[in-house]
Amino acid sequence: MVNHEYCINKTDNELVELSLDNPDHFLCLIRRYESKLLYYIMRISKLSREDAGDILQDVFVKVYYNLNEFDKDLKFSSWIYRITHNQTVSEIRKKVVRPTIPFEKEDIDRFEDAFNIEKEIDNSFDKEKIDEALSKLDKKYREVLVLRFLDEKDYVEISDILKKPISTVGNLILRGKKLFKEEYEKLNGK
Amino acid sequence: MENKDISQIALQRIKESGIKPISKNIFSLKRVIFWSLVGFSIVVGAVSFSVIISLLFNNDWYLYQKFGLNFIVKTIPYFWFVFLAVFTILGDYYYRKTFLGYRHRTITIVCVYIVITIVAGSTLNIIGTGKIIEESLRDHVPMYRGFIFDKDEFWSHPENGLLSGKIIGIKENLIQIIDSNGIIWIIDIDSAFVGGRAQIKIGETIKIIGDIDENNIFTVEQVRPWIGNKNNIMR
Repeated sequence: MVNHEYCINKTDNELVELSLDNPDHFLCLIRRYESKLLYYIMRISKLSREDAGDILQDVFVKVYYNLNEFDKDLKFSSWIYRITHNQTVSEIRKKVVRPTIPFEKEDIDRFEDAFNIEKEIDNSFDKEKIDEALSKLDKKYREVLVLRFLDEKDYVEISDILKKPISTVGNLILRGKKLFKEEYEKLNGK
Repeated sequence: MENKDISQIALQRIKESGIKPISKNIFSLKRVIFWSLVGFSIVVGAVSFSVIISLLFNNDWYLYQKFGLNFIVKTIPYFWFVFLAVFTILGDYYYRKTFLGYRHRTITIVCVYIVITIVAGSTLNIIGTGKIIEESLRDHVPMYRGFIFDKDEFWSHPENGLLSGKIIGIKENLIQIIDSNGIIWIIDIDSAFVGGRAQIKIGETIKIIGDIDENNIFTVEQVRPWIGNKNNIMR
């Protein structure tokens, strides 16, 4: 088994190379992304933690199987998010969706700052409204808003994850923000 | 499931199932295939464009005055325009499948494709490729003739004042031509306009515009060069 200290100073690209020789290094690589990707799956799918965990396992197996496809001209994080996105989209077609979107306090703060939303004293009330407003959006807008404001990806990374032109990503974010704000204000009775 | 277990369970599955990463060569091959398809789409597009400009340059536009817009509409090479459009769409589709191809908008890809097609197609037309391909298809692919304006047939209607054939004899102002049905015509070109690059010499194929009267006398108004193969006139 590979020592955690040994991995910590390695870049993603170095770990990819090492994983091709020894799958134990792969553990270091996927551990870096485990919690981010688990939340990402739950955010875009509304699946429970257990179901999201099952998808993530499949994602990691798939990533290892296709490891030679990874090109260093792309960020490893974009590539692994893309596989996760595709796997999740294909899985949610098969599963019954349970209504839970996981939000951390920082997520809510980030959303409120990005959209100039007035903060409520009761944070759980904000969470419910953000959740509801996001749920009302079309999938294509929800996906880009989650990646941009919750996973903090830039336009090029979102373009690489969703395999959409950069300009399209920009337009979707712009339109998505407007629609989100409208939905949020409706929920606030404005 | 505990969060901390996911990576370990995945690694265990990889090891137990003996999963090995797919060879890099497979992915390299996939990339080569898609780039080749992009290249193929560009080549076909350029050839289509060279044929289009060859056909348009050699079209009998002057007949617009005699037959009106209907004639122009009939002679537009729709088949090649459709071919060009189909390969433009395929070029865009295959380009998107290449590495990072998805980053560009369809409009950008299509514009770049069109510019390359115009430049390469014009070059091919200058060296005569468009004309050679079009004539080869006309001569060797019978089905192709069904998709394009049949120039041979159009110029074989003396009753409409349209005649074509190969010059087989010349005597002062009279020329003798043989048409695609093997009929020999004696034509007085004294008062006719000899247009374009038409050459009155034996072996030349020409187009004649005129009028035929009830005595089967064909009065010539214009003589034009054929340009291109005339495959059903004896060579």
